[in-house]
Amino acid sequence: MNIKRELLLGTVKKMHEEGYDYLVKITAVDYVKTLEVVYILRNLNLNKDELLEVTITPEDAWINSIIEIYKAAEWYERELQEMFGIKIKDKKLKKLLLEKWDGKGYPLRKNFLWNKPYEKV
Amino acid sequence: MALTRINIGPVHPSTHGVARLVVDLDGDTIVKVEPHVGYLHRGVEKLVETRMYMQNPPYMEKIDYVAPMSVDELYVATVEKAMGIEVSEKAAYARMILLELQRIASHLFWIGSVTNDLGQSFTGFMWGFRDRDVILRLLEEATGQRMFYVNMRLGGVTREFPEDFESNVLNAMKYMEKRIKSYENFIEKNPIFIQRMKGVGVLRIEDAINLGVTGHVLRASGVKYDVRKNNPYYQYETLNFHTKILSYGDNLSRYRVRIMEIEESIRIIRDSFFKLQSAQGSMVGMPVKLISPKPINKISIVNRELPRGEGLMYMVAEDQKPYRLSMRAPTFINLSALNHIARGHRLSDLFAIFATLDLVMADVDR
Repeated sequence: MNIKRELLLGTVKKMHEEGYDYLVKITAVDYVKTLEVVYILRNLNLNKDELLEVTITPEDAWINSIIEIYKAAEWYERELQEMFGIKIKDKKLKKLLLEKWDGKGYPLRKNFLWNKPYEKV
Repeated sequence: MALTRINIGPVHPSTHGVARLVVDLDGDTIVKVEPHVGYLHRGVEKLVETRMYMQNPPYMEKIDYVAPMSVDELYVATVEKAMGIEVSEKAAYARMILLELQRIASHLFWIGSVTNDLGQSFTGFMWGFRDRDVILRLLEEATGQRMFYVNMRLGGVTREFPEDFESNVLNAMKYMEKRIKSYENFIEKNPIFIQRMKGVGVLRIEDAINLGVTGHVLRASGVKYDVRKNNPYYQYETLNFHTKILSYGDNLSRYRVRIMEIEESIRIIRDSFFKLQSAQGSMVGMPVKLISPKPINKISIVNRELPRGEGLMYMVAEDQKPYRLSMRAPTFINLSALNHIARGHRLSDLFAIFATLDLVMADVDR
């Protein structure tokens, strides 16, 4: 299900009330012109998974946090922030989780070349 | 009272890999634990984007080096799904046997490290490792390697099982059943073990779901979810086995769930060998070639019950390489729940809780 960024929080809240109480994964894909954030939610009673996709642009990369609804989201959102440079709106999450990276760019974006020399910001 | 902040690590505490914990204490009581991870981060998800499909399995095995075959299989299954390759019935049973052997080996390794951490001298550690070695020898027989097997091929496994493999495995399973009884006598009747495990690190069911924990941690809190049952793959639905759950959610439940899982795995292996005799098709998969068949599905999502919990791969396929491969690492999410579980406990309980989560830091960091 592809939804608009503004509707994300409302949709997730509604789905949580409907029984999708387990967050499986949040991840993102860089399609160069757009970034796609993917949420996988699960209804444990009905044994059903649902996919939510939110398309945003790299220039205006931010997304609402769903930590209030799923505590599991915190580390995933920190990973998004660190690896893709997607800002988590209205949440002051710690910047680094995995990379301890103080160089330029975001490692999982396509314009980040792994064999380029390190440049400090 | 002012809080005391102490730093633990970076050390190698019962985990496999390096973790650092920053703990805020009020006297001896934990107020907050903050895990610092990333010491084993290798950027696997970025690395695989630069390699052809079948060049990647060796990298995948290093994600969880206590149970390498399970992650390898998860990756190969994702590629198979992208390319629309079917796995024959015989290959499916062969994979199930190998994966369950791997699960038992991984659980025994964990029993070794958890008993060592709880101060049961060295006996538990040596027992766990000795019994794990029995399984590793079997896996060596079947794959040619002791640890990093790279045994999965598109559509099957590398080679047929050797002639006396079945009888060797079945004998080992008999031995394993006896050993499980010894563990019960030695470990579960040990007063030190019980005191440090019972009622410690309780995770209630609603928190377990909200925190998204997985595998034995989720099942010990009373959620009946096992991918092998709930979203069956290969031939798991044809076999008779149970998802074992307990409802206390404490350290001891997490330990007991694992012991019961070993028993279930033994059953699965026995049944699989029985069904393998009449299974159709070839066990051996396609030979590894650099140029793979073209993917037909752009996005493929596959989930599997890894020894440490549910692993999931989300792959966006390109012509010859993965465009993006994202993995849900089971221990990553289990570690993020540590703060919630450990809060309110004494500092000495922290490592008992930490140990029962069964973390492999390479899996957390990827």
